[in-house]
Amino acid sequence: MKILALTLLLGATPAGALPAQTKPVTLLNVSYDPTRELYQDINQEFAAYWRGKTGQEVKVRQSHGGSGKQARSVIDGLEADVVTLALAYDIDQIAEKSGALPAEWQKRLPNNSSPYTSTIVLLVRKGNPKGIRDWGDLAKPGVSVVTPNPKTSGGARWNYLAAWGWALRQPGGSDATARQLLARIFKNVPVLDAGARGSTTTFVERGIGDVLIAWENEALLAIRELGPGKFEVVVPSTSILAEPPVAIIDKVVAKHGTRSLALGYLEYLYTQTGQEIAARHFYRPRMASVAEKYGGQFPRITLFTIDEVFGGWEKAHATHFADGALFDQIYQPGR
Amino acid sequence: MIAAARIAGLTLISGVFAMAPRAMAQQSESSGTVVQSLEGRMTDLDQQLRILQRLRELAADSATAAAKEKVTATASAKDGFSLKSADGRYLLRFRGYFQSDGRLFPSTETVGGLDNLLIRRARPIVEATVGQYFDFRLMPDFGGASPAIFDAYWDGKFAPQFTVRAGKYKPPLGLERLQSATDIAFAERGLPTNLVPSRDVGLQIAGDISQGLFAYQVGVFNGVPDLANGGDDLSNAKDFAGRLFVQPFKNGTLRGLGVGVAGSTGFERGSTTAPGLPSYRTPGQETLFRYHTSSTTPASNVFANGKRTRLSPQGYFYTGPLGLLGEYVISRNEVTQAGVTAELEHTAWGTTGSFFLTGEKAGFRSPTPRKPFDLKEGGFGALEVVARYGELALDAASFPTYATATASAQKAESWGIGVNWHFTRAVKIAVNYERTTFTGGAATGDREPENAVISRFQTSF
Repeated sequence: MKILALTLLLGATPAGALPAQTKPVTLLNVSYDPTRELYQDINQEFAAYWRGKTGQEVKVRQSHGGSGKQARSVIDGLEADVVTLALAYDIDQIAEKSGALPAEWQKRLPNNSSPYTSTIVLLVRKGNPKGIRDWGDLAKPGVSVVTPNPKTSGGARWNYLAAWGWALRQPGGSDATARQLLARIFKNVPVLDAGARGSTTTFVERGIGDVLIAWENEALLAIRELGPGKFEVVVPSTSILAEPPVAIIDKVVAKHGTRSLALGYLEYLYTQTGQEIAARHFYRPRMASVAEKYGGQFPRITLFTIDEVFGGWEKAHATHFADGALFDQIYQPGR
Repeated sequence: MIAAARIAGLTLISGVFAMAPRAMAQQSESSGTVVQSLEGRMTDLDQQLRILQRLRELAADSATAAAKEKVTATASAKDGFSLKSADGRYLLRFRGYFQSDGRLFPSTETVGGLDNLLIRRARPIVEATVGQYFDFRLMPDFGGASPAIFDAYWDGKFAPQFTVRAGKYKPPLGLERLQSATDIAFAERGLPTNLVPSRDVGLQIAGDISQGLFAYQVGVFNGVPDLANGGDDLSNAKDFAGRLFVQPFKNGTLRGLGVGVAGSTGFERGSTTAPGLPSYRTPGQETLFRYHTSSTTPASNVFANGKRTRLSPQGYFYTGPLGLLGEYVISRNEVTQAGVTAELEHTAWGTTGSFFLTGEKAGFRSPTPRKPFDLKEGGFGALEVVARYGELALDAASFPTYATATASAQKAESWGIGVNWHFTRAVKIAVNYERTTFTGGAATGDREPENAVISRFQTSF
């Protein structure tokens, strides 16, 4: 009787009763707005690499949106095997609010879990009709500036902090002058998109504004896709070193049984091939040889880090982007 | 004078000609400024227009995104109150039913039940769909002497042909038992239901093949006595239960015909202190048979001790307003009393007929009235008349070793009639009369017949 019962129990499990799984293993990468094209290429190459290495078929699904919004989705239960977001703060939030990965997640992969970097530049229309040269020009009356909403977009936070850091470094620069600069810049913003890709659409496709504050990769991609005859990149005198991080969501990979696959996926970003793909999509590679090979496409620019100027993301968030903090004081919709 | 005038005229003319290019230049310059100004204004207006269009586009995107994430709240008599995610993968449903009964035994004088008003069932139901394939249901009952869990199970609905259920629920045996308590024709189920369990804990595979043409359930359960709402098992042995049900005609008059067979087999090892045996009830819910138990000499108590099998051919037929449901049940139990073991076979059968006077289509589930009760609109609801007959025969070998002939009947025969007034799908009032006669069961021969009038006020959602 016991044997019969056990047989029935085993036979009744879905795995035992359903036909053998022939579908590829699926991995969900929840990423930020402008990485669509990057991860389309990465996913394709990785699937071939993984098949060759393990014999396992892999299908990586992508989800894109404003980095903060994506992080909230993961916190709310979106089952991301890996996240590749715009800033470490968003992954910190996932760790803190969902407990789905450890607080020290950033130490698990090289370079603080940021396989590539980028920075923030200015994209203007051909001929630079408003004579935009540096961050200060964005605050001038009559200059229409396009940037996404720092409340929802990681890229927008980098934009904001890049301008703030520049202001601090000007003669007589202080928090007060930086705040004044940002207030004037945001007064010139007619449309606040939720994510960086939306802002690119606003500026490039909808023809709105004189200058787009953009990820370097997004600006260079726009020029490549739409031709140098329409836009120009203006490299400001200083900008911020953006380090988009990646992480495994431990709870999800444990549930899906995809830990080794997810780890392999993220480690692939650090390989020669992964780094080359990133560089081809205008992300600054970490690997020295690849950085040297693609050095010509990245303008030389003085970069400061978030730790140097803002004391890290936690502090930057509390000071600038938390509810009621400086951004809320500076920017009020409809004014 | 004339000469002077000529000179003045020439001077004026020459002056005019001399001034004309300058004026024209000034005019041209002014026009250019105007054009530039107009161009600037046009550019500004173009930008404003583009900005407004983009803002409208973003607002539309936000509205679309919000709609995708929107949780839908619904309320209906059929499905209760529910919250559903936009993709339909997550659903929380609150349902329930409540039955308030009156039981009268008008001509029963010496034995039988007390006239009584009671809460028969008070069952809130929480159902959830979690993800694409998985459901959960929890249904306690607060209507009895103490609260009890009736349903608490998990469903994996992988395909119509293959579902997995684990937890506590109705085992696939009695046909009327498998019908919801809100849908049964009479207030109480008939005599055959005595011989099948109410609820058991187990694991079941089930499915519908060819859109309900063929349905199957098979499962392993703890094993519980007839009529019992099971919980923990008494022994390591388990019961296996299965049911096949066929609705062979998809069209035509016989479309509502369904026939099947259900059965279970297993072992039970009770004890004198935990006998693992049932007692059986009349339609008026009075005990008509119980195995011998004694609080003073518990060593003489009868207990389950061996094989337990059930077999139940069953079927129904619904056509238009007419419904017929019938089943036959055999329940065999090996029992022991003071070291003497016997296999006892009890049998029961019953048939129930129903007819909607107001023309609704009868079915295994109650229909929605064609004209729900509405004083303003003149809706009456649905009126259903019902009748049934059933018998329960206890194995003669039960007496006197395993049951006391003066306290337990050897046979019960019951017929009943009733009226159900379905105000709406959610509200029903029922009045039944049922007469049960007995063979044996009294010190002086046959137990006095039971005449029971049962009324019910039911709300379900």
